[in-house]
Amino acid sequence: MDYSNLRRQIIFMKKSFFDQGYLDEQFNQLEELQDESSPNFVEEVVALFLKDSPRLLINIEQAIEKYPQDFYRLDSLVHQLKGSASSIGAVRMKNECSVLKAHGNDKNLEGCRRSLQKMKREHATLKQKLESYFQLLRQVGPRNSAVNSRK
Amino acid sequence: MAAAAPALSLAPMATTVTAAAAQKAASPKAAAGGDVRKVVPVMAAAADEVVVQELHVLAVDDSVVDRAVIAKILRSSKYRVTTVESATRALELLGLGLITNVNMIITDYWMPGMTGYELLKRVKESSELKEIPVVIMSSENVPNRINRCLEEGAEDFLLKPVRPSDVSRLCSRIR
Repeated sequence: MDYSNLRRQIIFMKKSFFDQGYLDEQFNQLEELQDESSPNFVEEVVALFLKDSPRLLINIEQAIEKYPQDFYRLDSLVHQLKGSASSIGAVRMKNECSVLKAHGNDKNLEGCRRSLQKMKREHATLKQKLESYFQLLRQVGPRNSAVNSRK
Repeated sequence: MAAAAPALSLAPMATTVTAAAAQKAASPKAAAGGDVRKVVPVMAAAADEVVVQELHVLAVDDSVVDRAVIAKILRSSKYRVTTVESATRALELLGLGLITNVNMIITDYWMPGMTGYELLKRVKESSELKEIPVVIMSSENVPNRINRCLEEGAEDFLLKPVRPSDVSRLCSRIR
């Protein structure tokens, strides 16, 4: 297996995530924490996020679509989603949460709906990109991956 | 981040125990439900003697993602960490004596049910718990909020997302 080629792909992929604004410095901070005791820490935390966030998105949609709308609950849910997204460095999702929050505060239903749709798309894209990234990393293996393991 | 011994700025309570006692201490207690995990890092100093670093942090956060991150940051700094998903749960477990020897509590500010601020107040009002330093984390930079927490006796206030460098800054303040 051509590890150097794979490593190049990994580095290029990660760089594109940053350049296109999907991820921010927090993702690097998490990668810095990886060590022998938890070599797959970032993948595990991202998995936690991807497992937890769909529930939040569904609940957000319910808060918007029920009548009368529960803007207080909406704010609480978006706050939670924003927090988790921020903790893994998912900056596009974090920013969209801010937009959704603002629409909620204005009680702008149409704005909320638009923002939620955008959020769902961002979530799907992020999931696909990060899953590809971790799949590549797994091919290279923790010892061979100079990108995320500590020396 | 260099995995230096936490002795750089704080004084972890390092006690020398016999291997047998350390073995007993290292086995995790079963917790009464909730997301409670304990890790005791053990460093071998000699054949039949172990030095146990025991600075124990209780981390409270309703977000499963944030719990994982804060626990990892703390464990990388060689703290023993117990994570709990709510302030009420934290007080319950502390009251029942299921969480003991806590050297620091680090809690999210905004949580459903009891907030981190309320947890802070309860801790400072309790004769058993009031000496424990409490650190508040929040994703929002609200000066009034920060001041209120500090006035209520919070040790520090960290903005989320929390970074390893934030934690090393805390080290120097914790006895």
